Order: sequence, then C-alpha cells, then structure tokens
Amino acid sequence: MTTIIKITLKGVFRDRVFQGIIALAVLFLFIPSIASLSMRQVTELSITLSLSLISFILLLLSVFLGATSIWRDMERRYSFSVLSLPLSRSSYLLGRFFGLALFLVLTSAVLGAVSLLVIKVASGMYPPARPVVWSYLLLTLLFITLKYILLVAVAMLLSTVSTSFFLPVFGTICTFLASGITQQVYEFVHSPASAQAVSPFLKAVASVVYYLLPNLAGFDLKVNAIYSIAPNLQGLAMTVGYFIAYTAILLGGAALLFNRREMK
Amino acid sequence: MNSLRIPVALLVSGLLCYGLLIVPFSSYMSNKPIEEKLGYVPSVKLLKPLSADQKELVGASLVMKVLMYFGGIIGKAQEGKVISEPPDLQGMSRLLHGAVQLDPYNMDAYYFAQGFLTWDAKQFKVANALLDYGMQYRTWDWYLPFFAGFNSAYFLKDYPKAAAYYKRAADLSGQDLHKSLAGRYMQESGQTDLAIAYLTAMEKGEKNQALKKNYQIRLAAFHEVKRIETARDRFVAEHGGLPVSVEQLVQLGLLAPAPIDPYGGRFYLETSGKVATTSKFAFATKNK
Repeated sequence: MTTIIKITLKGVFRDRVFQGIIALAVLFLFIPSIASLSMRQVTELSITLSLSLISFILLLLSVFLGATSIWRDMERRYSFSVLSLPLSRSSYLLGRFFGLALFLVLTSAVLGAVSLLVIKVASGMYPPARPVVWSYLLLTLLFITLKYILLVAVAMLLSTVSTSFFLPVFGTICTFLASGITQQVYEFVHSPASAQAVSPFLKAVASVVYYLLPNLAGFDLKVNAIYSIAPNLQGLAMTVGYFIAYTAILLGGAALLFNRREMK
Repeated sequence: MNSLRIPVALLVSGLLCYGLLIVPFSSYMSNKPIEEKLGYVPSVKLLKPLSADQKELVGASLVMKVLMYFGGIIGKAQEGKVISEPPDLQGMSRLLHGAVQLDPYNMDAYYFAQGFLTWDAKQFKVANALLDYGMQYRTWDWYLPFFAGFNSAYFLKDYPKAAAYYKRAADLSGQDLHKSLAGRYMQESGQTDLAIAYLTAMEKGEKNQALKKNYQIRLAAFHEVKRIETARDRFVAEHGGLPVSVEQLVQLGLLAPAPIDPYGGRFYLETSGKVATTSKFAFATKNK
C-alpha cells in the first residue's frame, strides 16, 4: 500500500498540480491590501480571505484529484498493470486515498503557513480589537483539511460506481453543496413551525437524506478563528469521531464495490 | 505558407478589433449607472446555501459592495457635482442586512449601516434593531451599545433606553466616558455637544478616507450649529427673548463670521429657538 501512496503522490507532483496551487497562492500577497479596505475589521477580513482561499483550493483539489485518480487509471489501462502486482484491490484503493489525503495535508500545511504569515502582517498593520488566537486558527485549518479528506472519500466512492468522469466530479460537488445545508433542512422539518407545511412522508425522506449525506457544517470553524470565539472542544472531539466513522464507511463501501467491479 | 494565412489573418483581425474596443469597453463598464453597480443580490435564503462554507466571505463582499458604491457617491459630492440621484439607501440597507445574516459578527456591516441609516435614511428604529441583533453575537463589543445609545438619545429621544445602552457600553469598555454619557443622556440638554463628541470619536477612529471626510464635513456643520447656539444664548441673556433669525445675530455682532453650512444649505432658527438648516445636514440631491 505504501508504494501506491508513493505513486499517487509522485503522480500528483508530476501533473504539476503543486505548481498550479503555488500560482493560485500568489493571491495571498494581495490579501493585506484588500483587507485594508475594511473599516473596522482589517485583521478579521484578512483571516476570512486567507481561510476562504485555502478552503477553495482544497475543494478544487479534493473534487478533481479524488474523482479522477481511479477513473484515469482505468482509462489509461494502468489499473491492469497495477492490479497484476501482488496487491489486493482494496489496498490499491486505500493507497490512492491515503496518497491524496497526504497531499491535501501537505498543501494545507504549506498554504496554512503562508496564511499565518499574511495574518501576522495584517494584524501588525492594524491591530485588531480582539487579539488573534493562533491555536483557533490552527484548529480551523485542521478541520478544513479533515473536511476535504472526507470529500475525497466521497469522490472515490462515486468513482468506483461510475466509469465516466462526470458522475464523480458533479456528484462530489453536489454532495459538498448539500452537506452544508442538510442541518438546516433537518432542523426545519423537525421544527413545530413546519408541522403543517411539511407532510410526514417528506419529513421521513428529509431525515433519511440527512443521515445519509455527510454533515460537513460541523467542520467549519471559520467564525471561531476570525472573531476569536472559543470553540466547543467536546463538539470538536465528536466531529473528529464523525470524520473517522464516516470516512471508514465510505472507504469500506468503495472497496467492496471496487472488488466486485469488472475490469474491461 | 498558404496554410498559415487563415490563422494569421484571424489573429491579426482579432487583435485589431480588441485594440479598438478595449478602451471604450472599459469606460462603458466603469461608467455604468450606479444602480447597476450596486446590483441585484439574490435573497439571503438563496445566498446562504449557495455560499456553502464561504458565508463570511460572501458577507464581507456584500459590505465591500455597499462601501464602494457609497464611497463613489461621497467622492462625487466632494468634487462639487450635484448628484443626479439620491443614493439607494434602501438597497444599501438590504445588502447590509443580508451581510449580517450570513455573518452575524461582521462589524463593518453594523458600523456602516448605523452610520447611514440614522443620519441619511432617518431609519432610527431599523438601525437600533440591527444593533440589538449584533449585540447578541458581538457580546464583547462596546461599540454597538455605544451607537445604539447615541441613536436612542439623539434621534429617538428615548433617554432611559439610551442610559441603559450606555451602561452596557461602560460595563464592556470600562471607560468612564460612557458612564458619564449614560448620566448626561438622562436629560435633553447639550445635544449639540453630544453630537460633536460622538462625531469626533467616529472621525478619529475612521481609516476609510471617504467616510472620514464624510464625518469631518458633518462635524464642521455641528461646530457651526454650536456657534449659533452660543450666540443665541447670549442674545437671550442680553435681551430676555429669542432672536428672530440667524442674520439678526450676525448683524448684532454676536456671531462673527457668519456661519456657513458645509452642505450648502442656510442656517435658520425654528420658532422654538432650535438651530436648523435647509440642507438637513446632507448634500443636495436633484430628483429625476
């Protein structure tokens, strides 16, 4: 499995993905000047912009790398040569996953370091009303990374189902968009206000969808980092548990499907 | 050679057209009517799911949009141009309300909204409702009760409420200034002094040049009001009755030089003796 992880990482670097990220990361240089347009929250705005940029880059990476890595192997018939090695299909799949996860961790570590520097500069220029709590920032970065690793697992599951490139990419994007609002929908259909508006059947459907889709809203700690609000540590521990459980289900499902899949 | 003719012709004619169009195109974009610039923003119900995990960013960008729009108008007013349309205050308010629903902690939105909702839009209750909403989230921030206290006393004349807001501001900031303000707001006196104190504080803390200028102009107007009030009080002390007009004070030498309204209006005395101006402390706008 470690060889697959290595191959995956090498492949990502060979495709010049990292150079692309660095080109996008040039945007970080503009953050302090954009943030200085703010009236009352220069530091807060630079934290918002930095975290948003990192989140956006990781989203692109997880959607495209996660959805294309297996599809491409099959398209190029690499999977035959790989699977002829003394290696189970499951460990091939897991190797791909951990390789991409490692790449996301690496990217967020590099970009995170850059953004901390940017925030340091911005907070030096205009001291904020609330002191920046660096540990909250690091926690936020960690949870952003976890969120997108989970999304890679979603993409992998979808790409074991489909032979095309479209279902995994669009399916992952849709899952991502839906995952942010399932909590709101769930709370709405279970609120007394909706008792008349929502039929019991729809309520049941909404609940099933809620438990089925990943709930990524819990991984978003941006507000805590931006405004230095203490996060709920117990809740965070639960979120980590949720991450492990949900990713395990996704990977297990993906490996099962991949084992049963016919290779043309 | 022949095979290259078409691509080269395409490239050259494309470049020519681009060169011809790019200048008028960019000037068209930058001269778009102000309404189009403020733009249509979908309802917050739609924006919330669409902004996914970037709610804070979308909120901040809404604030920026309003700021750029308002800054453009202030800039025109300072160049001495008559603004052809009054600013779309309702649109600005809508956008800022949307911004705080996406990110209830966004201080820029509260700060900006309370600035124009009160002085320009005269929506004092809307402003205070927004500040109350902000206080639920920004529990550490003394600015919000400070603003709400000022609005309650100066605009709404609700002194007990103002005192309560100032007490909260004093508790949060630990500043004696707010405690004494809380006391002073209990009665209607020295309103102009309080407006000057408030505007001075706002002007000092402002980094945005367009808004800073805006406060400076308003502050200059209130300094003039203060001068007229001082002259009026001297007249009352000397003659035992209210003066008829501001001009009378100037003629008697109580008020020199004659007051000038930086907004281009004319100061006058209401029958109660209160100083007012025809400009209502805002730049003249010409309705279409």
